[in-house]
Order: sequence, then structure tokens, then C-alpha cells
Amino acid sequence: MNTFLVFLEQREGVVKKSSIDTWNRAQELAALHPGAAVSALLVGPASTRQLDGCPGGNGVIYHANEEAFRLYNPEHYTRLVVETMKRVAATTLFFADTALSRDLAPRLSVRLKASLLTGCAVDDAWGENGGGCCQRPVYSGAAIASFAPCRPLKIYTCTPRASRISSPITSGARASVVVLEPSSSTSEELFPLVRRMAMHEGVRDVAEARIIVAGGRGMGRAGFGLLEALARLLGGAVGASRPVVDEGWRPHAEQIGQTGKTVAPALYLACAISGAPQHLAAIGSAGIVVAINCDPHAPIFDVADYALVGDVHLLLPKLIEEFREFLKKR
Amino acid sequence: MHIAVCLCQVPDTASVIDFFEGALDLSRVNGVMNPFDEYALEEAVRIKERFEGSQVTLFCIAPSSAKEMLRKALAMGGDRALLFSTTEPADTFQTAGMLSRAITDYYGEVLPDLVFCGKHSTDFQSAQVPLMLAELLGMESVSAIIKLEASRAGIHVEREIEGGIESLELHYPALFSVEKGLNVPRKTTIKAVMEARKKPIDLLPVTLSESSCVTITSIKPFVREKKCRVVQDPKELVLLLTHAEALF
Ligand SMILES: Cc1cc2nc3c(=O)[nH]c(=O)nc-3n(C[C@H](O)[C@H](O)[C@H](O)COP(=O)(O)OP(=O)(O)OC[C@H]3O[C@@H](n4cnc5c(N)ncnc54)[C@H](O)[C@@H]3O)c2cc1C
Ligand SMILES: Nc1ncnc2c1ncn2[C@@H]1O[C@H](COP(=O)(O)O)[C@@H](O)[C@H]1O
Repeated sequence: MNTFLVFLEQREGVVKKSSIDTWNRAQELAALHPGAAVSALLVGPASTRQLDGCPGGNGVIYHANEEAFRLYNPEHYTRLVVETMKRVAATTLFFADTALSRDLAPRLSVRLKASLLTGCAVDDAWGENGGGCCQRPVYSGAAIASFAPCRPLKIYTCTPRASRISSPITSGARASVVVLEPSSSTSEELFPLVRRMAMHEGVRDVAEARIIVAGGRGMGRAGFGLLEALARLLGGAVGASRPVVDEGWRPHAEQIGQTGKTVAPALYLACAISGAPQHLAAIGSAGIVVAINCDPHAPIFDVADYALVGDVHLLLPKLIEEFREFLKKR
Repeated sequence: MHIAVCLCQVPDTASVIDFFEGALDLSRVNGVMNPFDEYALEEAVRIKERFEGSQVTLFCIAPSSAKEMLRKALAMGGDRALLFSTTEPADTFQTAGMLSRAITDYYGEVLPDLVFCGKHSTDFQSAQVPLMLAELLGMESVSAIIKLEASRAGIHVEREIEGGIESLELHYPALFSVEKGLNVPRKTTIKAVMEARKKPIDLLPVTLSESSCVTITSIKPFVREKKCRVVQDPKELVLLLTHAEALF
């Protein structure tokens, strides 16, 4: 029998959307595998009202709402997850693929002697061939590899699904919340210790945005004003190619590609980006890709759904205008 | 300070990943230092230059052909390189296990003060080896750092999280995996390349004693199925996008 534990990550008291999506996916998997049960572990003070009705399905959400868990502490978090895995006799631990899970999961895999599969698309094929397999692009997106766990315990960090908007399970069942007793060890000062967490005001992170408006070298430094305007209008985030970051036009946090972030937005708008393999490697799971480029032979068009051939400086203001019209009418 | 840097080799990004009769064919691939490991090495060398009497030792598990890459790493400022040659494929856990034994064998009872790794290898992008290694060595560790301030007493680092930055504090000995942005690796000079020829590269045996945690069941070429539709103007594009899905 399979028991799934889903790690629900909070930042500043808000449960991450990617975590809720992972919970929903675990529920879908459980529905496909009779006898499977799903529990969740929410670490840190957070409003569970946000979870109300959103994650459907059955199961218990264990909430460790101690103040000590507000900021990420690798050692405290590791101990708590290990304890909870034992408590619910979990065989499989799911994380959303985030900066936190990338830091926590490898530690846990050693502590729990578990198989670790990072950055994976956990899809319906998960249960086939003995179970637990998942896929991920390798070699800059030139190939897709399937990985199979060999240990009884398995840990996944799951990449978002762009194209499919996951709908909450409507089985009528509701998950219940159990607040965990404060643990005795959290009073201990354990290192590494997060002293501060500073969030960028009003900036949406590219790794989490549903819409990304990305610009390449052809934008020029000043051209990014247009992309910011468009991103603001659509509620998206600005992304950048590497030369743009190396020139210092945009911060590194916005770089998309092999040495930047891997993204999976529902809409990716690539403006004056040529489409080098190192860039394309990171947008393989994007939903709709739109490319605007003056070179009709730019490789970016090979991966685009829609192409606009022309000068970004002429086309973008018009595009912004058209979107504004559309949004006004709606 | 004793500083260890873990380096791996990846296909040069310019090389084409081929498939021959359905199987992965890496015969025409050129191996280079993992780009993230360049940042790791640069940081190690900068610390060495600040703290007198420091030693930077390179650890690499790879076929013996990785010597060339290690020469470059020595020219960038490494003092000595240890190459653990193996032809057996290993998963990340086995790699971490071998590295931890290599490091404890080399340094003996006392762990090195600092260990640097890359955030991930660009071929498989696992981002698993560094913190598994830290856990096996029992060292404090932080992944994907973008800033580091080391003093004799302790270390402050920063890492990026979604939409923000975390500042952390830790003690020696510590292990870090490094993200792009931490530093700009130096270019090697002719003089450094000449000096590197005199630095030792030790070829050492290594045994694989852990069983694997994960196996790769298949590697297939990625076929893009997209068909690109050329649209005439922004108006048509907005029409198509707003009809497609509940995007906005
Ligand atoms: C180890 C390694 C790692 C790398 N990692 C990354 C990474 O993480 N991310 C990344 O992006 N790159 C990465 N690169 C770099 C990559 O190889 C390319 O150099 C880079 O992606 C090119 O960026 P670009 O498309 O913005 O610029 P360019 O290749 O210069 O392309 C500019 C494009 O803009 C178009 N253009 C110019 N002016 C206009 C205009 N007015 N209107 C419309 N179109 C216009 C041009 O036709 C061209 O297609 C990496 C390279 C290496 C070696
Ligand atoms: N075979 C290896 N030899 C030495 N170091 C390695 C090896 N494999 C991985 N590493 C280190 O671990 C980092 C992350 O690798 P990975 O977990 O495979 O993505 C690399 O940047 C290296 O610093």
C-alpha cells in the first residue's frame, strides 16, 4: 500500500500555489491507485483557510504551526519531516520543486535512505512498471530520461504542469487539519540558521509566474520598459536571456536557461530572443510559446506556437495596446 | 584553510547530443568543466587568496580523460587535483558516497574547513550530490548561494528563494553549492597555465560500495511537436491568445 505525504510550503504565512498543485496531483494519483492514502505536512504558521475547499480529496493535513518554523531551518525541518514520515508510515514524499525543496530533499534522502527524484514531471505513468517512475529533460532538453527509484522510500520534487490547469478534486470529501504538538527540539539553535528573509516588493518570481514576458539582447536595455509594462498589464513576470543579465540590464534572478531558472508558465512570450539551446532547455514545459523576432529564421520559432516577425520596438507597443483594449472590454 | 572543491565534467554546450539506433551517442561530445563548478572553484580560490596558508584541493570522479579539465582547474588556482577514475555509471547517491570517502581518506580525522560544489551539473541538473555529500560528512551546508562572507569566526551566505533572498549564518566546517552570480570566474593566464603543469594530478582508485538509489530506465530524444503559426499583427495574436485558454 502507498501512503503519500505532501510537503506544504509556506512563505510569509501563505501556502505556496505550487504546493497546493502538488497536493492536488497526489490526490489524483491516489485516485488511480486504490488503497493509496494522502496526508500533508504544513510547516510554519499559516492560515489554513487558504486550503479550505482548494485542495480536495481525503486525508489529514498535519500543521506544525510553531513560530520556530516560520523561517526555513534545514535541520529543524529535516527532523520534523522524518518524524512525520514515521507517524503516517509514508512511503512517498512529494514536494513542489522550489528553492526550499531543492535544499531540503537531498538531506532527507540521506537521512531516510530514500530514492530522490528531483525536478520530475509526475504524471499518470507514475504507477506503471512497478511504480514511481518519472521523467525529466536532460542534456539541455535534447533528451528525456526516465528515472526509477530502487528504495522502498521515495522523495520527489515535482515540476509544475503548465498546460493543464489542475482543478480541485470534487469528490465531496474534505481534508481535515490536525495541529501538531510543539516539538521539543525547536528551541535548540541549529545551524545553518536563516537570520533574515527579504522579499522583493511587488515583483513576481519568474519560476512561479503563469505568464512570462521574456526579453533577449535584441531588446536593448531601454526596451525592457516595454516588457515591464506588458508584464504588469497581464499580471506576469519579466524574464531575461543570459546576455541581458550579463550586461547588467536585469538581475540574475530573472535569467531563464541552463544557468538560470527552468520555468513552466502557461504563456511564454519571447521577445528578441534568438532561441539558443541553453535558453530553450529551460522552457520545454511552457504551455503556449509566442516568439517575436525580426529574423524569420531564428531558432526560437522552432519551439513557438505563434510567431510575430518584426521589430520588437514597433510590435510591442501595439501588442500592449491590443491587450489593453481586450482587457477593457472584458 | 583547507578547501575542497568537487568538480564534474559535462558535455560542452556546443556539442550535439546524438542518438544512434535509438541509443544515446556521446562519442562526439566534448567534455568541459561544469559551468557551476567554475563559480565554486573561483570562490575557493578567492578565499585561499584572503586566508594565508590555504590549500585548494580538487576532487573529481570521472574517466581519466578528465585530466585535461583538471589542468584548467589547476590553472584557475587549484593546488592539487585528485582524480578518482571509474567507468561505472553511478547515481547521485553513489557519487556523493564516493566523494565523501575520498574526502575523509584525504583529510583524515579533521574535515576540510570548506567544501564547494556547483549548484547542479548542467547535463542532468540533479542538484543532489552537494547536500547529500554534506549530510554524509556531517557538515553544515547551504545550497545555491549567491553571496558569501567568510571570517575566521563563521560564514554568512545568501541564497535566492522565489521572490526574495534568505540570509544564513553557519560555522566551519561547511559545504556550499554555488549559483551563478556569486562571482565572475577569472580567465586563465599563460603563466598560470604553465604553472599548472607542475601541479600534481593524482589518479586514484575508487570503489563503489553503495547500492544505487535511482536507475535510469530510458533516455530518448526529445521531439518537439510544436507547429509554429505565423501571425500577421499584434491584433491577430491577441485574438488567438484570448480565444485559446483561460489565460487572462
Ligand atoms: C555554459 C553556457 C550556459 C548558458 N546558459 C544560458 C542561460 O541560462 N540562458 C540563456 O538565455 N542563455 C544561456 N547561454 C547563452 C546562449 O548560448 C545564448 O548566447 C543566449 O541565449 C543568447 O541570448 P539572446 O537570444 O538574448 O541574444 P542573441 O543570440 O544575440 O539574439 C538576439 C535576438 O534578437 C533578435 N533581434 C535583435 N533586434 C531585434 C529587434 N529590434 N526586434 C526583434 N528581434 C530582434 C535577433 O534576431 C536575435 O534572434 C549559455 C551559454 C553557455 C556557453
Ligand atoms: N562525479 C563527480 N565528481 C566530483 N564532483 C561531482 C561529481 N558529480 C557531481 N559533483 C558535484 O556536485 C555538483 C552537483 O551535481 P549534481 O547533483 O549531479 O547536479 C556538481 O556541480 C559538482 O560540484
